[in-house]
Amino acid sequence: MKRLVNLSPSRPWALLLGLIPLALVLALYLAGSDARLTENPNDKLLPSLEQMSSALDRMALQPSKRSGEYLFWTDTAASLQRLGLGIGIAAIIGLLIGLLTGALPAVNVALSPLLTVFSLVPPLALLPILFIVFGLDELSKVVLIVIGVAPFIARDLQKHTLEMPREQLVKAQTLGANSMQILFRVLLPQIMPRLIDAVRLSLGTGWLFLIAAEAIAATDGLGYRIFLVRRYLSMDVIIPYVAWITLLAFLLDMALAWLSRRLYPWHHKGAAS
Amino acid sequence: MIEAQNLWKHYGDHVVLERINLKVREGEFITMVGTSGCGKSTFLKLLLGTEGATRGTLTLDGNPVPDEPGLDRGIVFQQYSVFPHLTVLENVTIARAFEHSPLLGRLFGSAKRQAEDEAREMLASVGLASAEKRYPHELSGGMRQRLAIAQALIRKPRILLLDEPFGALDPGIRADMQELVLSLWRKHKLTVFMVTHDIKEGFYLGTRLWVFDKTRYDPQAPHAYGATITYDLPVGHMDRALYEEIDDRLHPVPA
Amino acid sequence: MKRLALLLALTLLAPSAFARDSFKVAWSIYVGWMPWGYAADHGIVKKWADKYGIDIEVVQINDYIESINQYTAGAFDACVMTNMDGLTIPAAGGVDSTALIVGDFSNGNDGVVLKGKKNLKSIAGQKVNLVELSVSHYLLARGLDSVGLKESDLTVVNTSDADMVAAYATPDVTAVVTWNPLLSEILSMPDSHKVFDSSQIPGEIIDLLVINTETLAANPKLGKALTGAWYETMALMSGKDKAGIAARTAMGEASGTDLAGYEAQLASTKMFYQAKDAVAFTNSAALKTTMKAVAEFSFDHGLLGEGAPDAGFIGVETPSGIYGNADNVKLRFDPAYMQMAADGKL
Repeated sequence: MKRLVNLSPSRPWALLLGLIPLALVLALYLAGSDARLTENPNDKLLPSLEQMSSALDRMALQPSKRSGEYLFWTDTAASLQRLGLGIGIAAIIGLLIGLLTGALPAVNVALSPLLTVFSLVPPLALLPILFIVFGLDELSKVVLIVIGVAPFIARDLQKHTLEMPREQLVKAQTLGANSMQILFRVLLPQIMPRLIDAVRLSLGTGWLFLIAAEAIAATDGLGYRIFLVRRYLSMDVIIPYVAWITLLAFLLDMALAWLSRRLYPWHHKGAAS
Repeated sequence: MIEAQNLWKHYGDHVVLERINLKVREGEFITMVGTSGCGKSTFLKLLLGTEGATRGTLTLDGNPVPDEPGLDRGIVFQQYSVFPHLTVLENVTIARAFEHSPLLGRLFGSAKRQAEDEAREMLASVGLASAEKRYPHELSGGMRQRLAIAQALIRKPRILLLDEPFGALDPGIRADMQELVLSLWRKHKLTVFMVTHDIKEGFYLGTRLWVFDKTRYDPQAPHAYGATITYDLPVGHMDRALYEEIDDRLHPVPA
Repeated sequence: MKRLALLLALTLLAPSAFARDSFKVAWSIYVGWMPWGYAADHGIVKKWADKYGIDIEVVQINDYIESINQYTAGAFDACVMTNMDGLTIPAAGGVDSTALIVGDFSNGNDGVVLKGKKNLKSIAGQKVNLVELSVSHYLLARGLDSVGLKESDLTVVNTSDADMVAAYATPDVTAVVTWNPLLSEILSMPDSHKVFDSSQIPGEIIDLLVINTETLAANPKLGKALTGAWYETMALMSGKDKAGIAARTAMGEASGTDLAGYEAQLASTKMFYQAKDAVAFTNSAALKTTMKAVAEFSFDHGLLGEGAPDAGFIGVETPSGIYGNADNVKLRFDPAYMQMAADGKL
């Protein structure tokens, strides 16, 4: 018998072992739901699969009685737009600040303290100020995501830029490169896959801020719907929505990973020599 | 061409180099050996311009060596010398792009083709003709260093600085690389400074060997005195006894 | 598997209807419910629980909706809530619930505020920030009825109550519907006008203590102890003497204001200090009419569940008769315990 630390299961076993806990959780849920529904057929806390699928059918495939919209899809579109804008703007800001502070010592000296302070501020605690400055509409939701995510991306990229081998910068200079050229041709392309990594890591935070923003003031969105129907304990809507958010987050993550492998093969295969 | 007068380098209280005086003529091939931490790499950095002298002067054609790296001094490091995100060909043409496109650092059209032709010629001369589309991570260590050399030479520097360029290579490949460097040195009429750990390499390559070592040592304050050049020998005029004496100093046999 | 399911059901606290001697009651901060906190902190609840030989734990929950959800899921035996939330959350969730105590109704405590406009009609076309599907939403719907507007004439923006005041301070928010103390905070800002409030629909927004019907049936002692404690506190806080002032001061401070602020809120709340007034209100035919309006509003907004074919799907029992489906009564207004208090039989 090998030591446990050396024991890594083969592929089919790994799959199976990974599925067992998931299946167990599902079975436990179904059993609990069944038990509660036997006692009270109108119980809303742990809806059955049929209840959830009929709720999903109603939200996604039937037009809403009040507005005629397919709520599930309008919610999804609204949320993805906010998330995309927020994360996109955060990525651009984070890239600029991270790259410039990492590459230019003068900028680093000027901005680093501010960046550090900013990244430690909990944005949700400053909501009233955000409202006054950015209003209550789309902008403030996007801004909340940006403020929540950009400092992390900026610091991560700053760290990676600072960690870039000095040798490459020296080499570029001996080839006649000016600062601009070093930024654009040497540092920026090598930081791009790091940016994608940072965005992947910050997507979770992005979703968190998105849902928080939608819970505060909104007329549509996945977070809005969850917090709205929570008012009458519609877990049959909430659980499919949560599963959908999880799936969307997973797909986004996969897409970014694929994009990074596709655009920057040298980053994934190459050692750092 | 290069002259040092009473050159000192400290880092705080830590004296690394002291009392360096030398003159180097154009076209010399100088190898530098010494124990680790003896200051030979620091000397290379002074030539490169990434470090400045604490005292004394280091001049190039009578003017102080610029305080940042520049076109006239090419460099090959032991590693991280090439750009991992560019193909072999791009690693060489980028030097021309830096020259002709000050803002973006990119070439287009005929300028691009011209740079590529020139780069292919240079790659052929270092034996990388068939690898131009590959990325550095797809190359062996030796090929990467060949690329680094080709890249360093494309803008025709007068001085080539080599910082233990073959330190991470297998002995067989190292011999090939040494031949390559010698032939390029002759072809491009370069002045070469090469730091090496391998004293044999120092004796074999080039025209002149410098040994960096400390002549004064205070056990109470090991950093109070720096290293200087203890031997300055023309290569090819050396007897076995001297080789062993130097070898013994650099790699003492444990008692 | 069966055992696991049982375990899960137990850990999720399906309330058992059997006679017990230990109970949990949830309350959250609101002018009409502050007496619960006071009664718990000052030993009044314990005194009455001891009298009936039971144990009552009174728990303050910061999130009002969460407290109702917890009650509906079975974590609490009783919980404070409005008549509308009682219908749309526990009753619609199949938990048969009884309004044990009718504590008060909002008499101006909920209001519609416009920035720069002085009458309700000009709300048409505006964005209105409110807690969607709450009593604010109901109040707005009733207000719109009164001036011949429909909800489709404006845009409702769901806004968390915690952020309502900050939201109102921004220039692009021009209309809100909210409750006290947020309402008075918002009205104190410049150019803000209350154009409609709950005093114009008296008796429609009612604050209750709701208890699980089965639990109550199996444990009348719990109903008696809670009712007794409540009316002892009512008597104390309505007094003009030192003790009354002290009680109101404590309640005001616990709700984050002071005596004056709390009394201002009480002024727009019709408290039933006397059990007999609460009984009379519960017995009146108006209650049934109110519950009909509430049920229709809730049905229109999908709050009775998608399985509901009409507004009367969930039956509401009042002393003046049952509104809706008599075979599916899930919310009951039962004055019996309040009557005992009025008769001094507790």
